Amino acid sequence: MNKFKKAFSVLLCGAVALSVGVGCSKEQSVGQTQAENTEAKKEQTKESTAQASADESVEITFLNSKGEIQAQLENMAKAFKGENPNITVEIIPCGAGQSPTEMLTTLYASNNAPAIAMLDPADVAAFKDKLGDLSGEKWVNDAMPGSLDAFKVNDKLVAFPFAVEGWSLIYNKAVLDEAGVDPAAINTTAKLEDAFKKIEEKGKKGVIIAPEDWSLGAHFFTTAYSGQANSTADIKTFLNGLASGNTQIKDNAVVNGLLDTFDVMKKYNFAKADPLSAKYETNPEIIGSGKAGFWFMGNWAWPQIKEFAGDNTEFGFIPVPVSNNEADYGNTHMPAAVTKALVVDASINSEEQQAAAKTFLNWIVYEASGQKGLVEECSIIPAFTNISLEINDPLGKSIQAYIKEGKTSNGVMLSNKHWGDIGAAMQKYLGDYSKRDELFNDVTTYWTSGDYK
Amino acid sequence: MKDEKNFFSKFRTYMLFAGPVTLAFFTVVIIPFLYGLFLTFTNWDGVSANYMIVGFENYRTIFKDAAFIQSLGLTFKYVIFTVLITNAVAFTLAAILTSGTKGQSFFRAGFFTPNLIGGVALGYVWQFVFNNIITYFGKNIGMTALQSSFLSSPKQAFWALVIVAVWQYSGYMMIIYITGFLNIPKDVLEAASIDGAAGWTKIKNITIPLIMPAFTISVFLTLQRTFMVYDVNLALTKGGPFKTTELISMYVYKKAFTERAYGIGQAQAVILFVIVAIISITQVYLSKKKEVEA
Repeated sequence: MNKFKKAFSVLLCGAVALSVGVGCSKEQSVGQTQAENTEAKKEQTKESTAQASADESVEITFLNSKGEIQAQLENMAKAFKGENPNITVEIIPCGAGQSPTEMLTTLYASNNAPAIAMLDPADVAAFKDKLGDLSGEKWVNDAMPGSLDAFKVNDKLVAFPFAVEGWSLIYNKAVLDEAGVDPAAINTTAKLEDAFKKIEEKGKKGVIIAPEDWSLGAHFFTTAYSGQANSTADIKTFLNGLASGNTQIKDNAVVNGLLDTFDVMKKYNFAKADPLSAKYETNPEIIGSGKAGFWFMGNWAWPQIKEFAGDNTEFGFIPVPVSNNEADYGNTHMPAAVTKALVVDASINSEEQQAAAKTFLNWIVYEASGQKGLVEECSIIPAFTNISLEINDPLGKSIQAYIKEGKTSNGVMLSNKHWGDIGAAMQKYLGDYSKRDELFNDVTTYWTSGDYK
Repeated sequence: MKDEKNFFSKFRTYMLFAGPVTLAFFTVVIIPFLYGLFLTFTNWDGVSANYMIVGFENYRTIFKDAAFIQSLGLTFKYVIFTVLITNAVAFTLAAILTSGTKGQSFFRAGFFTPNLIGGVALGYVWQFVFNNIITYFGKNIGMTALQSSFLSSPKQAFWALVIVAVWQYSGYMMIIYITGFLNIPKDVLEAASIDGAAGWTKIKNITIPLIMPAFTISVFLTLQRTFMVYDVNLALTKGGPFKTTELISMYVYKKAFTERAYGIGQAQAVILFVIVAIISITQVYLSKKKEVEA
């Protein structure tokens, strides 16, 4: 009996131990199969390169952090290999939920850095010592004005602008036509108010303000920064002044002008009665089905708007006016910024691999198949003025038009704390819980907190 | 020699029975806790490969951080109201549902159900109720107070959080109180009635002392859960409007992951741990002392 008990308890313990182990082993096995897969892939690619050319075949890796275009990038790599049989590009995805910086840090730590890595622009500087200089490349001259400024570290250009996004007032042409408003003619705050009035006469609402802090803090308020001047250096001077306390935000004409426009928008807001209860999720339906004329948002909202727009594809952007003087910079330029950048490693990859990486970048900008892959397949707004292919999305097309005319301002992207703090201050202002003085105080509190570097 | 063997065999028996659990406890609780404690003395940002030891700098920053103190104050307010109201509601429900009302099993099950819904789903359900349903009624019956959403005004958003927490936890606590009520010996109650105790006197002098263990557990559970609440906070208000309902867990999370100040966030979490530990231990100790045997 005793023996039986003992044996039984051993069995039970074993079962417990096993069940504890299962949790871990499962993940391990997944990791293993992944590793095996990539191993297998590597061998395949090795074989294929060996077949393609016996001499000087180069193999490079590309770290992709835009999960939605993984398949498209792999197709581009294939097309590239067709035209450049010596070079094989392997696209490695960044794990879901893992930040590209984190992954690249790990890859550098294991001496396994990719030749090309796709990063968020703010993270590029962290790797500056390891990156190659791209300032001698041909595409530098064809890049959208201002798009390279953020990537210049000590006279060295360390990144390639891969994707552009823009944000401003989106309009629904059908609603504007019905009210007899021409979007292209709106270039002052007064004209915008006039347009809102005409739209409301038709029983629709003027504008939707999404009350989310990222929209108000990271996109709307930063419009005032990018509207300061047309050079990144001047904007930087302005921001440094704010951080050091030498520049007072309350005295700035552009900031006040933008907030005057915001006051007008508040008056014709779709959710005027209860502005803070509005939700981003419900906004695309309102603009898409034409219940309101305008929406302050960016080109990323198109897939959602499309679901409610039916056959209507006539949407576009106008800049948010910042004064009643038509010629002012902010009234004619809409903010756009590079949201993904490519960097080329120069510390672990060989000279040949670096050269191959640069060839790939040039291929994207100048070869028909590269342009097609970028614009038509990945649906990315390119940062290069020489690319004339049009993206198949009205909002993206509108931004492309602004880029071509040189009418984009340098979209400013700041830290997460910036959008959290300024977003909250703007929400307070939107809900009429604070006056403009208090808003300026909150903004100044952020700028003097030492978060901006 | 014999002793050694004795120790060895004892150790073997221990490892046999408690080994897997000990291992699991160390790997998922003790080691991460100690590592977390170590990180509070660094300036790690959460992603970079290298960091520096900064000593007590993080702790010093915290006590200078007005927003942290404010969030802690808000959490205390939230905890006090939620714990009081939840337990009062749960106690009342339990008293009613043990008095022989018709269909009491049905009501018990009904009141318990909210506890089975996950916090995030529950937050979204209530967001819809506050944003759409209540305002819809407000507009149709013409009550201006109900026409704007609870969630868009800072004061009301706080009460929205309290309402949802009470709704979520009352049923669970009610079940615990019901077991307490059912464990009161009938003869004691009968003796009290014969002695002339009735109504509130009977509840105060007989029922409450006898179900003290239920109070100990319920108050402990509500205290600990409301201090740590994150899911409902995130799904219902997301800390808004304009950061006025950011309870402490959310504040710590944002510090560590959104603002990328992992060391500071971790230090705040340690402080929160100490506060919750002290309060819970005091509460359990005090109410244990009040427990009596029938």
